[in-house]
Amino acid sequence: MFPTANESLKVMSHCVVGFPSLEENEHAIDGLVAAGIRLIELQVPFSDPVADGPVLVNACVKALAQGGSFEATLALARKVSRRHPEVTFVLMSYLNPIYQYGIPAAIDEIANAGIEGIIVPDWPVEAMRPHLLHMEKRGVAPILMVTPNTASARIAEIASASRGMLYVVSRMGVTGSSTHWGEEFQTYIARVKEHTNLPLAVGFGVRTREDLQALRGRVEVAAFCSQYIEWQAEHGSERAAERMAQVVQSIQAA
Amino acid sequence: MISSEQGLFGEFGGRYVPEILRPALCQLEDMYQQLRSDETFWQEYLQLTQEFSGRPTPLTALPRLSELLGGAKIWLKREDLNHSGAHKINNVLGQALLVKRMGKQRIIAETGAGQHGLATAIIAARMGLQATIYMGSEDVERQYSNVFWMRQLGAEVVPVNHGSCTLKDALDEALRDWAASVDDTHYVLGTACGPAPFPELVTYFQRVISQEIRAQAKHQIGALPNAVVACVGGGSNALGAFCDFLDEPSVRLLGVEAGGRSQQPGQHSIRLHGDLASPGIAQGYKTLFLQNRNGQLGETHSIAAGLDYVGVSPVLADLVARGRVDATSATDAEVTHAFQLLMRYEGIIPALESSHALAGGFALAKEMQPQEHVVINLSGRGDKDIFNIAQALPQQEWLDFLEREVARTEQRLKESAQCPNGEEQYVSNG
Ligand SMILES: Cc1ncc(COP(=O)(O)O)c(C=O)c1O
Repeated sequence: MFPTANESLKVMSHCVVGFPSLEENEHAIDGLVAAGIRLIELQVPFSDPVADGPVLVNACVKALAQGGSFEATLALARKVSRRHPEVTFVLMSYLNPIYQYGIPAAIDEIANAGIEGIIVPDWPVEAMRPHLLHMEKRGVAPILMVTPNTASARIAEIASASRGMLYVVSRMGVTGSSTHWGEEFQTYIARVKEHTNLPLAVGFGVRTREDLQALRGRVEVAAFCSQYIEWQAEHGSERAAERMAQVVQSIQAA
Repeated sequence: MISSEQGLFGEFGGRYVPEILRPALCQLEDMYQQLRSDETFWQEYLQLTQEFSGRPTPLTALPRLSELLGGAKIWLKREDLNHSGAHKINNVLGQALLVKRMGKQRIIAETGAGQHGLATAIIAARMGLQATIYMGSEDVERQYSNVFWMRQLGAEVVPVNHGSCTLKDALDEALRDWAASVDDTHYVLGTACGPAPFPELVTYFQRVISQEIRAQAKHQIGALPNAVVACVGGGSNALGAFCDFLDEPSVRLLGVEAGGRSQQPGQHSIRLHGDLASPGIAQGYKTLFLQNRNGQLGETHSIAAGLDYVGVSPVLADLVARGRVDATSATDAEVTHAFQLLMRYEGIIPALESSHALAGGFALAKEMQPQEHVVINLSGRGDKDIFNIAQALPQQEWLDFLEREVARTEQRLKESAQCPNGEEQYVSNG
């Protein structure tokens, strides 16, 4: 289940399938769920992830060497979605692995694996449009992205194709580096809200509790991804999950 | 001249980019549509290529090699005589005029052989722009002379250390930079690949090559050539050489890809012929990619860094699919042989990239009749390849020279450490 509009802030976290390893992915997800995370992106590793920064690029390179793929992502999703029915799993991928699998078949398999939505940064709305009906039928929510330089008319167009939530890229650039949540950001969020009632998920640069405080009450979801993968890489999945638990508590307590 | 419907060429092309890059591509598309119908822009462009790069480049007959091979009469289109030593400058000069119109202060580029990076660094120096060049770390090693020159010209060269450490990774990194800097930065894409409008835009600027071949052939041969041959990395020099002959069915068009060491995965860069590559969507566009069945882009190899690319121009992919352009490949060994032939018989030192066109062109010429004419596009000169060639044709004399050179450099560094103003002294000493 996706959050509803005006719900209190939820944290979404991340898993690069195959990083640190396919076996560890399962434990890592158990850890995230125990930490209170209810929204998890499963990233299909890709050789050329152009919207990602160094942390996720390096995780993708390692994941590929360890058997990460679209099919491995489906296999993982089948297991963890059954084990954690309270969690919403979203598939994040670049288009080519999905395209090679065959788009209609890929949508069917995504649905069968218990995945509720997809985020594909290099799949623009016009190219996705012919497949929207099929996604609707199978209950796979297309979560499209808007960015600070997206024109208002296009925000409306992208929002009308999106389901579940709208992904709001917080700033110009790739995933990973930090963001300034100033007045400009508030204006941007207000502009997006003019065009949609979908819950908003803000991502690209949510790294600290302060970032989460800045987003509380303004949007429904904060994507806490690169920082989690960095913790995972440096300290292991268990310690990373402990830190995520603190992150979740910090927004519940405040 | 080619043109597309929404950036599509048959089933190839398009614009599959993260949303953040879309406004810049739309702006570029608008500008391109404006200037296409603006004859004064083309004149401004031609003037710049003449005054800065030395166009038109000559069409040179190869009498000794034609006789040796015993087939068609062979001609070279001398893109190697451009300023900076390759056809890449044609595109860079065109995009520089766009940068001027857009008022942006910074340019970025990806480069494989370094020729595109060098051309970009040159134009940045001339226009007073800041330049950042992304280059696979493997290519940095292979083409260090170009890295040296780019840095001397004031550009920042950033080695890319992940993936296959070659051109495709440099292209990814340039796209990532652009996503963060698109407000004040123009991405000078170096070949007829990537998201629309780049494939068409780059072809538009390289078209000057075939315009000149046409006029020169009329004058020097008295007719259109029977065949035009070019190497294919991304495909920009090939499209430039083919462009104005697309509507001339009597002119055979042949693209030569890098056959590398073998046709095993990772040992070549053959995308257009055979069934080694398949349609895919990556790096912002749809084309034939070398990839595995999971849609992960593959490793490539070529003796020539500039042909070592995993995708290919969507324009060329479509022309090959429609049967208008033929594709073949030359192995590293065939390329080295063609390289030596041109040097020994005609006194011209070609780039290793261009030597692929020579290998394919020589083979084609042999099959043709003596009254026929084949034009081979010599996309660049071989200066940058001196280290690669010295390795391909190892000689004790070269090794001895390198050892002396290392000793000299160490001595220099020691002296400049003792004398902190070494750099100033170097400049004043000339
Ligand atoms: C001399 C030379 N020729 C050919 C190429 C291949 O590029 P394209 O196929 O885009 O012309 C390069 C690329 O670096 C090059 O430097």
